Amino acid sequence: MSSVSRLRAVLVWLTALIIFGLLFLEARQAQISLESAEITTGWWLFGLMIFLAVFNMRKKLSMIPLGNAATWLLLHAVGGLLALVVYWLHTRNLWPVGSYEQLLAVLFYATVLTGIIGYSIQRFYPKRLTQTGMEIIYERIPREISELRERAEELVLECTEKTDSETLGRHYVDSLAWFFRQPQFFRNHVVGSQRGAHWLRQQDTAVRRYLSDDEKAYLDELTALAEYKNGVDIHYALQGIMKRWLLLHVPLTMGLLAIAVWHLLIVHIYAL
Amino acid sequence: MAVALASAPQRWDSPFDPEMTEEQVNDLLGTPAFSAVERELFPVHTPLEGILKNDTRIVHFRPGDIVVREGDYGNSAYLVLDGSLRVFVGQEVPEQLLGRQSIRRRGFLDSLSQLWTNSDVPEVRDTSRYGLQTLRKDDRTDADSARVFIQDVPAVLDEFRTATLGDGAVFGELAALGRIPRTATIFAETEAVLLEIRWQGLREIRKYNEGFRRRIDRQYRENALMVHLQETPLFAGLDNSVLEQVASATLFETYGAFDWHVSYQRMRSSGEGGIDHEPPIARQGEYADGLLMVRAGFARVSVSFGKSDRTVAYLGAGQHYGFRVLYEAWKNGTEATLQSSLAALGYVDILRVPALVLEEHVFPKISGEPSAFIDLADRPILDDSLLEWGVDERFINGTQAMLIDLDRCVRCDDCVRACASTHGGNPRFIRHGKTFDHWMVANACMHCADPVCMIGCPTGAIHRTQVGGMVIINDDTCIGCGTCANSCPYNNIRLVDARSRDGSTILNPTTQLPIRKATKCDLCATNPGGPACVRACPHGALRRVGFQPESLMDEAP
Repeated sequence: MSSVSRLRAVLVWLTALIIFGLLFLEARQAQISLESAEITTGWWLFGLMIFLAVFNMRKKLSMIPLGNAATWLLLHAVGGLLALVVYWLHTRNLWPVGSYEQLLAVLFYATVLTGIIGYSIQRFYPKRLTQTGMEIIYERIPREISELRERAEELVLECTEKTDSETLGRHYVDSLAWFFRQPQFFRNHVVGSQRGAHWLRQQDTAVRRYLSDDEKAYLDELTALAEYKNGVDIHYALQGIMKRWLLLHVPLTMGLLAIAVWHLLIVHIYAL
Repeated sequence: MAVALASAPQRWDSPFDPEMTEEQVNDLLGTPAFSAVERELFPVHTPLEGILKNDTRIVHFRPGDIVVREGDYGNSAYLVLDGSLRVFVGQEVPEQLLGRQSIRRRGFLDSLSQLWTNSDVPEVRDTSRYGLQTLRKDDRTDADSARVFIQDVPAVLDEFRTATLGDGAVFGELAALGRIPRTATIFAETEAVLLEIRWQGLREIRKYNEGFRRRIDRQYRENALMVHLQETPLFAGLDNSVLEQVASATLFETYGAFDWHVSYQRMRSSGEGGIDHEPPIARQGEYADGLLMVRAGFARVSVSFGKSDRTVAYLGAGQHYGFRVLYEAWKNGTEATLQSSLAALGYVDILRVPALVLEEHVFPKISGEPSAFIDLADRPILDDSLLEWGVDERFINGTQAMLIDLDRCVRCDDCVRACASTHGGNPRFIRHGKTFDHWMVANACMHCADPVCMIGCPTGAIHRTQVGGMVIINDDTCIGCGTCANSCPYNNIRLVDARSRDGSTILNPTTQLPIRKATKCDLCATNPGGPACVRACPHGALRRVGFQPESLMDEAP
């Protein structure tokens, strides 16, 4: 992290802490005076939620200088955490009683949770992708797998023709064809398990003892292809998750904002 | 055993102009420019007639046609055979007059309007604008040829100071041989016939014709070398008379292939290359006989390490090599032995200032110790690997390479979308490219220090901006010939079919072929706020960098 980025992060955190501190004092003062601070904290919370939602709009306005998206993301992440504590300050409990408030709480917590999960995977997954030693554009993965499958099948056919033995061919049909058909071990890759690589080693070991030296050379090539395909699978799983988590986070945000607006109207019409 | 036979490519397999006739060559040999040349000094395999036949072509210009333009790169020199030309002197000529794109930065609202004015169809062009360009077809040459011209020559002559170039005048040879930008704009005042000599022929003539060589060297010494020396910090404080002595003793040397990008592309596709294939300039352990200054191109400084060489640094134009070794030897009275090797990266022009001249004029005036290259003793090999890679891949040529930190990049393509939204719906780069460790140099124009893409552009549509030094393409004067895209060693220029708003391909009314345009990253020159790709990255993973060793060292893991 450069010194400018560090300074920017410190400033944003400091601002968030000051806002929270002021709101906390306001709420405490209100409590002492037997008054209500919910209106102040509520409006702050709503304002924060609007600000957080605007980040998505900024992405569509890249043609105008609205500041670096990296700064926006920092503000979004810190603002999200600030919204969480302001929410607790506003509701003064972790879980509300009324069903409408519970719906609001579910949406709020789900939005925060998906945000935290999304932020976390965006911090850790890129490093795991780098560790595969390859780089591939997500949209090209199906074509890549198809080409790998074709090469694997050509290799197996060639082995059968040249060595006059079907051992490797049968093994391919029984086991490896499944692996080359489509991305596999999705869940394992998502959680960081090495099951895919382990499965490939098992397959290699299991069939190697039955092969001649000529066939083993083909198996080596096939295993290299399979290992590459395993890397592609990792990219498919991790890039897929990184692209799709927003499909949860953004709709939840929209739902939350809609319910919050209704909550605001109800409060201002009936409670004041 | 069957043997495949193929003849090796010969020097003149591709003549500059296949239509050049023996008769034209004989006529040229009779002109004053060549009649005095001692033809017997040329070797049998490269006779002067052969050079004229294969490395030159006769070009006709109409009044107003721009022959060379200040700031452009070119690999030809010109000899005026007939007619009168004008050269702009001492005054800045408006960009638009020269057929360049004048960059108008959009305002905030104008930029925002792209949100609704961008077409759903990519690469939409307003064809009504094309009629306004100062571009005309050269109907006497091939169909792809077109020229930028000055529309109102008398008015220009009235408004700007110009000098006349008449029959027998030669120009453009320094830029062609030295890979430096043209220093002046020259246009035809009347109908003019010029002999265009490509750099290969020019190099041969310079090699075998003493008079021509002396003339070029003298021109360089008088015009460029003095300025170069004055701007070099090593010679700061020397008065002009001493500088003149330094200049007169300086030797000019060239290493590597002028068209390095061609061999580089071949080398990359065959997987060969590396430090062993680079032409050596100076070797570690040898006697240092002079200061080597890089005039153009790049060179690698390396030291022996294990069974290979380890890169210490690379040098670009304006940097020098060997000064510290020579200085210490002079100070201590010992023999100057080189502590490192120097090799050409592609192509490099070197100025060699002899040690004796330095000892006499420069060293006595030095106070303090000259700086040395980074000391490798304490550096792990891994720390240098990014620099080694950048040099091997020639990314050092880039001044604005798109460097992506893959440990931060979440592959969201926000950078691609931002680029598309500022370029009419089509991105100007691909988020894909060569990777090393956790770094990727994406396929985006790097705005090279040695922009080989600019060489050969028939209309000068691809050019470097006078302010900012960006390499941009004037869409109005691009004729879609693809010369730039073929020349770019990094495959960062793409040809697209121009489309109308309804999505249909725009056809050239004459040829009925699609109108094609070269496109590439322009660093969002027309939009406020700098490159949109950098601003759009939420994780700060994308940066535009010059491949300087110091900055790369900071980035090393």
